[in-house]
Amino acid sequence: MKRLLPAAVVAVAALVAGCDGGSSDSGAPAATDNGPQTGTVTFTGTDNAETYQPVIKAFEAENPGIKVAYTQIPFDQFNATMQQRLSAKDSGIDVYTVDEPRVSQLAAKGFLTDLSDLDDQVKTKFSVAAYKTNHFRDKLWSLPMWNSTQFLFYNKTALAKAKVTPPTADPQQRWTWEQVETAGRKAMQSGGTKYGLFMEQPEAYYQLQPLAESLGGGSGIEGDDALTPAVETDGWKKAMQWYGATFASGLSPRGIGGFQTGPVFANGQVAFFVGGPWDLKIFGSSKIDWGVAPLPYFEGGKPVTPTGSWSLGINPASKQQGMARRFLEFATLDPTGNLATSSTTTIIPANLEAQKQYTPKMDAFSGAKTAGAAAITAYESEHTAVSRPVSVGYIQFEEVMGKAFADIRNGTNPDTRLQEATRQLTDAWRSIK
Amino acid sequence: MRKRGQGLIALAFLAPALLCLAVLRIVPAISAVVESFYAESLLRGGRVFAGLGNYTDLVSNKDFRQAVGVTLLFTVLVNPIQVVVSFLLAVLFTQRAMGSKLWRTLVILPIATPPAVSAVIWSVIYRPDGLANGVLERLGLPVQPFLTSSGQVLPSLIVLLSWIGVGYWMLFLIAGIQEVPVEVREAALLDGASAWRRMVSVILPLVRRPLAFVLVADTVSNLLVFAPVQILTKGGPNGNSNLLMYDVYTRAYAIGDIHVAQAEVVILVALTLAIVAGQFRLLRGDQ
Amino acid sequence: MKPRLQSLSLSVLGGVVGILFFLPLLWVLTNSLRPGSETFAHLTLSWRTFFELKPTLHNYSALLSSDVGRATLNSILVSAATVVIGLAVCASAAFGLAAFEYRGRGLVFGIVVLSFLVPFDAIAIPLSTMFRDWQLTNTFTGLVLPGIGNGMAIFLLRQFFLGIPAELVEAGRLDGLGWFGVFRWIYLPLSRPALIGAGLMLFLFQWQSYVWPLLIGTDAKHILGPVALSNLQGQNFADYGLVFAGAVVLTVIPLMVIAGFQRYFVQSVASSGLK
Repeated sequence: MKRLLPAAVVAVAALVAGCDGGSSDSGAPAATDNGPQTGTVTFTGTDNAETYQPVIKAFEAENPGIKVAYTQIPFDQFNATMQQRLSAKDSGIDVYTVDEPRVSQLAAKGFLTDLSDLDDQVKTKFSVAAYKTNHFRDKLWSLPMWNSTQFLFYNKTALAKAKVTPPTADPQQRWTWEQVETAGRKAMQSGGTKYGLFMEQPEAYYQLQPLAESLGGGSGIEGDDALTPAVETDGWKKAMQWYGATFASGLSPRGIGGFQTGPVFANGQVAFFVGGPWDLKIFGSSKIDWGVAPLPYFEGGKPVTPTGSWSLGINPASKQQGMARRFLEFATLDPTGNLATSSTTTIIPANLEAQKQYTPKMDAFSGAKTAGAAAITAYESEHTAVSRPVSVGYIQFEEVMGKAFADIRNGTNPDTRLQEATRQLTDAWRSIK
Repeated sequence: MRKRGQGLIALAFLAPALLCLAVLRIVPAISAVVESFYAESLLRGGRVFAGLGNYTDLVSNKDFRQAVGVTLLFTVLVNPIQVVVSFLLAVLFTQRAMGSKLWRTLVILPIATPPAVSAVIWSVIYRPDGLANGVLERLGLPVQPFLTSSGQVLPSLIVLLSWIGVGYWMLFLIAGIQEVPVEVREAALLDGASAWRRMVSVILPLVRRPLAFVLVADTVSNLLVFAPVQILTKGGPNGNSNLLMYDVYTRAYAIGDIHVAQAEVVILVALTLAIVAGQFRLLRGDQ
Repeated sequence: MKPRLQSLSLSVLGGVVGILFFLPLLWVLTNSLRPGSETFAHLTLSWRTFFELKPTLHNYSALLSSDVGRATLNSILVSAATVVIGLAVCASAAFGLAAFEYRGRGLVFGIVVLSFLVPFDAIAIPLSTMFRDWQLTNTFTGLVLPGIGNGMAIFLLRQFFLGIPAELVEAGRLDGLGWFGVFRWIYLPLSRPALIGAGLMLFLFQWQSYVWPLLIGTDAKHILGPVALSNLQGQNFADYGLVFAGAVVLTVIPLMVIAGFQRYFVQSVASSGLK
């Protein structure tokens, strides 16, 4: 039941995108029949229908004769369902949302239409990180739609009660995890909170990769084919020892997961909370007073933040490649269209021009509480964002690491558990090789 | 002679169901078995014949062997508990007592709750700061780790699954008990402290067939459990709740390695078949 | 005096058990009457955990703008069709297994048992490919069909049918009943509790159908309850007030079915006077 997000940000040349209709004569060789010019494009994703109403409306207004029908598939079944339907060459799907770390695997299986003729545009309109993650074997397979980052949320009231000066929103004065730990303990002693620190997705690679990367531990995957585990580096071991200890000592709670993590902060039970841009609005309805600061790093390490989110891709079995292409380009390459995808959800648009218009608004998502969020977002995407690794074996990697993180959280020795993870990854990847 | 005629008539009654089962269950099952002998290589591209490769990979995998062990332990624990509790509840709720129908409706209700919501409920009960520990604290007992402990995770799941399931199985036993004439039941309950024991000893032999159904059907259902595991424990801590069906589910749906998943299903079905065959033999010997 | 005391203590015991089973659901009901932001705010055990003094129907009115309403109606339609057709198919099969003596009966029974040992989730993938070839995606037929042949329901009915004495059948035959008459006028009326049990089994299979409708690509017009319920949760956030309201709606229908059929459990015995 979790969320995955990845990244993008850069410069832009707006205009046209929707207009040149995408009938590509440049790159894609086999694109002879682009299907009808009018009709209904089906778009499949995992967000609520309201999320895409604005972009669909805007697109339909600009493209008379084309309708877009959105189908939602529940998140916990999304990958499985798509896997099955795409491999059955189901032409009932034209455009669909692609979780960025899955691009390689979907492309390798032939579930994505080659979009390499748009390469130049993507290079200038999105961040380097986003440009890279949507590539596999030197071809472009999907276009970035959204981006994400993580913030450190803090409970103002609790910190004041514990006489702790809260962190500032200035990325130059970013706190270390060591500082957070000390302040968190004070808040537990005299600030009235039950816990000191908690992360929104305590067992997710997306959330924990920055800990290891901050200590120079690497992503956990290496090798030319990106199928060699590297999770026993000093950085990974140190990061996981620290992480395991936060639970053993009671700084963080065990046994709370899913969508129940956010409410722990919103109900005032924890001093510090690590969460995403969506929380800027969600916590707005909370009764506590809070603020945002940049994601911490380890003393002696470097600041690293997660990034990335969903992209859009086209099903090769679609019989309406032309119209699908139009919608895809409108929702990503066109800043107006891309901006419209993030008007009902609190998520950062990937198109750099759209992002430039969007980010300033983040400061006011929850009144004064979210002051500084915009500057943090802009800074992180330029300086500290590190994507999840590109590998055909990413899915297995995420699964194995998720279980390792859960066990470390519950008290298993981090060093031996990472060793076990290496074995499991080697086993799982042997069949792919 | 007469038997042959009967066979044809029986076949006529059986035909629609056999057609459904063959087309909607057996044929796809055969295709699943076939798939278990293939493998897909992403780097080489395409589907290749793997022979018994998927099976040998599984058997040599430590996590798979642990999953088999956990599943067997779970089966040995959960089924007797559920069958006995369902039977006792069935006996209780077939007594002439006020409100019986209302109370037993409440006991059946959890089976009708959407599984995703049952999982949320129990995650709240088992949280370290959750309802179960709240009760323990009130009673002056030490708080427990439940799902986050290697030792308690399986018992915790058994309680959860019994909350969902026992009312359902009780229903079939009630249907059986109702077949026992009221006079027999009431006579057994006439008086004395041993009333319950006599009740049980009178009813038990009379509901043997429904009981056999419940035992077999419950065993099979429990071997196919995965939703609560998926939502609450992901097989952890340290693989101690990694039931086979959940393992199959992660392979087939999360990881998308359908071929190994199908091989694992074949092993799971073989295991189930062995257990169920054992139960049938046991029940027959009993008669 | 004594039996009355006994009956009282039995109903107290039954009440305690019933309430214990119901408490977790009461928590869901209570929280469906609260704003989603308060779902996890009352976990410290107190009366507020299970009761709300200022209930609001806001979550239920918010449900109206979701797919849950249409999905519930679809689920009712699909489940009802499954129960009616499925019971006819399964009961006649069980009759074929229980009322006759012939060679190969064990084999047929074996096939029935085998069919429910194979987990449906495991064969759903190849089966959905077959349905795609047959153009059954996105149809109600495609949703109903997998629920009809239920090996476990056949097994259940066979167990009960075996308990019907041969003399009754003989008597019926002598009265000039054909085999279908024996099935219709002797077996079915005597097996009402079992038929209700089997019906509930068929019903729940469809009522909780989740992976299957997604695999065969169901659009908004054919959406079923559990899918609509799951779609209430976002990727980053779930409003459990809303989700629980949806869950209450999806639980009330089976509740009415179960409660409605309760009396038949008793009636069957009274009316049969069997054994």
